[in-house]
Amino acid sequence: MNFGLTMKKGVTFYDPIRSDNGYTLICPKYSKDMWLIDIEGNIVNRWRMPYLPAGHGRLLENGNFFYGGQLKTNKEVGLPEEFSALGGILMEVDWDGNTIWQMEVPYQHHDFQVTKRDTIFFSAHTENSILPYDYAMKLEGGIENTEYENKIWGDAVIEINRNGEKVWEWIAHEHLDPKIDDICPLETRAKWPVINSLWICRDGNLLLSLRVSSEVVKVEYKTGKILKRYGKGKIYHQHDARELKNGNILVFDNGNHRQNYNPSFSRVVEMHPETGEIVWEYKGNPPSDFYSAVAGANERLSNGNTLICDSQLGRIFEVTEEKQIVWEYISPFRNENEGSNTNFIWRAHRYSNDYTGLREKNLSPKNFLWENRIYGPNLTEKRFTPFVF
Amino acid sequence: MSYARTEIKGIIFSNSYQAYNGFTLVCPQEGNGIWLIDMKGNLVNHWNINNKPAGYVELLPNGNLLFAAKHPENPLYEIEGAGGILIEVDWDGNIIWNYKDPCLHDSFYRKNNGNTLIIKWVEIPKSIANKVKGGVSGTEKDGVMWGDEIQEINQDGTVEWKWVAHEHLDPEVDISCPICSRTEWAHANGCLELPDGDILVSLWKNNEVIIFDKKTGNITWRWGYGQLAHPYNPILLDNGNILLFDSGYHRPGIDLGNSRILEIVPKSGDILWSYEEDASQLFYSSTISNCQRLPNGNNLICEGSTGRIFEITKKGELVWEYINNLPSYSPSVYESKHCKVFSAMRYGINYSGLKRKSQIIPKKQPAPGVDFGNNMKTTENKKKEEVTEESVLNRLRQLGY
Repeated sequence: MNFGLTMKKGVTFYDPIRSDNGYTLICPKYSKDMWLIDIEGNIVNRWRMPYLPAGHGRLLENGNFFYGGQLKTNKEVGLPEEFSALGGILMEVDWDGNTIWQMEVPYQHHDFQVTKRDTIFFSAHTENSILPYDYAMKLEGGIENTEYENKIWGDAVIEINRNGEKVWEWIAHEHLDPKIDDICPLETRAKWPVINSLWICRDGNLLLSLRVSSEVVKVEYKTGKILKRYGKGKIYHQHDARELKNGNILVFDNGNHRQNYNPSFSRVVEMHPETGEIVWEYKGNPPSDFYSAVAGANERLSNGNTLICDSQLGRIFEVTEEKQIVWEYISPFRNENEGSNTNFIWRAHRYSNDYTGLREKNLSPKNFLWENRIYGPNLTEKRFTPFVF
Repeated sequence: MSYARTEIKGIIFSNSYQAYNGFTLVCPQEGNGIWLIDMKGNLVNHWNINNKPAGYVELLPNGNLLFAAKHPENPLYEIEGAGGILIEVDWDGNIIWNYKDPCLHDSFYRKNNGNTLIIKWVEIPKSIANKVKGGVSGTEKDGVMWGDEIQEINQDGTVEWKWVAHEHLDPEVDISCPICSRTEWAHANGCLELPDGDILVSLWKNNEVIIFDKKTGNITWRWGYGQLAHPYNPILLDNGNILLFDSGYHRPGIDLGNSRILEIVPKSGDILWSYEEDASQLFYSSTISNCQRLPNGNNLICEGSTGRIFEITKKGELVWEYINNLPSYSPSVYESKHCKVFSAMRYGINYSGLKRKSQIIPKKQPAPGVDFGNNMKTTENKKKEEVTEESVLNRLRQLGY
């Protein structure tokens, strides 16, 4: 797909009436600049961070920007490249980029959540989560003899307070079943189950997306027990599982290593919390038009639309319940990293115009005149002309 | 539908100094025909066909077009690549030769002596099917597992020899992809005859390429396990090597969506040359697709699922790029238009199959959605016509220019 190279950039479609409107936060994979754009594609804020993002960032309700940074590269940490989205530091900066708080958290990866009681949840391949020998022997699936240094790295969810003290910890292998929560037959046995998203439900329990096991589990906060498993056999290497206001579960089904023969495609599915039945889904049309083998994100907006992030192509779009695209944006932020030039973005988030974190903020694109000249809507090349000589 | 994606079509890039000058044959997955375009994307010829194309298409040195088409009675009709009929038509679409067998699928190989190698599905006996390893259990179609048979047929349609894959494949060695269905073992999707008479077959489901001796039927060489992920379309190069499309679909481990083009040495498995994009998904097609080595050393690649056909030099530099915008990208399977292309082939301006015909002046491409009517003629009512400039212009007028 050369699509990323030749396509138009910026906002390619916008229906102001049916779109939920608001501001979109973008974290390009290989850039230390995080961007907030308005619905027309104007840059309204930029956070220049000290580290590359490891996953994504969020705009908190107090208007601060919070993200997990890649403190050290995989090589420096001593883990192979397949340990993706490895962070190491959590940081909170204010609107202008001044550091408010930061904490080094070794082996942190992918997702984090800041709670109302001001604690922070994050997932981490901590050393105590490495699978004990007996458990590793019992764990089914995966490609034989692909353990990393004869070990399977497990995963944990940790809750810390602002002083960095551990408040709560959930270690995957203490609660998951080695037979039910097995490894996809085409994945290596180096890491398991890779908690690539965590979500705090309204009842205080956690919804975790287990990438390697291709399922979403609901974990009881008090006991750590698995309350419910979702999506086994339906979704493959999914990301960004979240509970919606109506109680349903929205998840980005990447479709990578999907069973049976199907051309690769991704979809967004909404599942019933009790039955796990799929009540709504969005697929591309044709399905192969929308495929992100890794990463990806989705969120339900206040008017019922869904914001979808096709990470690998740097494409963010908003669809209505009837699956009509009402807004589409292609990230113009291309970055060079180790020979690959890509506009890959981590999860995108949409904040409505009345979001508390945006109150009394200066949201004029004029503050970023120069950036808007490069990446903004006016000077992004609208018409494509073939290059022929 | 994505707005950004559906917007840009046609010629994207063309470097006329380095590109191999000629005409490109485009076989879209949907729509009403096969097309020949020039380097600027202008339409040169259109073969309107009744049957849905099933995959590969070739412009023969005698100027005829040979293609595989779908037959409604194919037992596995829903599988991409299901065929059933091979059709050879002349420049004007008159049927010259055809061969019907509802079980045909995927590719074919026309030999220089006029014989054709074909691939067809046959049922695998239960006793063998039960031994086959891999695949998702219980996914046989109505309890039946289908295998492959390679046949050589001559111009009269007589079978000269045949090779039944499941009689020679080893269930312990030729293991299917673990997450594919068990409808088939091993889904051969490309075959060709090597200069020494042995037959090379690519097995889609088993991620491998094999060579067998057609006299004894024994498999003499296997390659690809751990290297290939659902390969497509091996072709024989002039230097005796094999060029194939490694789709990367269901690639074990980190599967970011990367296809590769590989030049391999048969019977040794050395990779002499390869092309892939460093950033994931910049070059990826999980299905269909093919590749071709051009006489000047460039490579024409058809990235089927995005409808993108492009040409790269040996160094991997892009010199020509085209995204299918032909009128046949029609809504049929999906609600919206799509431009998937089964295969594409480039023929140089001096190609013998294009003599005289290449002199016609391409006309402006018609707007999408133009109905070309049914121009398929049968052998009975065909008139022997000399192809002259006048007849071609008449033909173009018929087409509605």
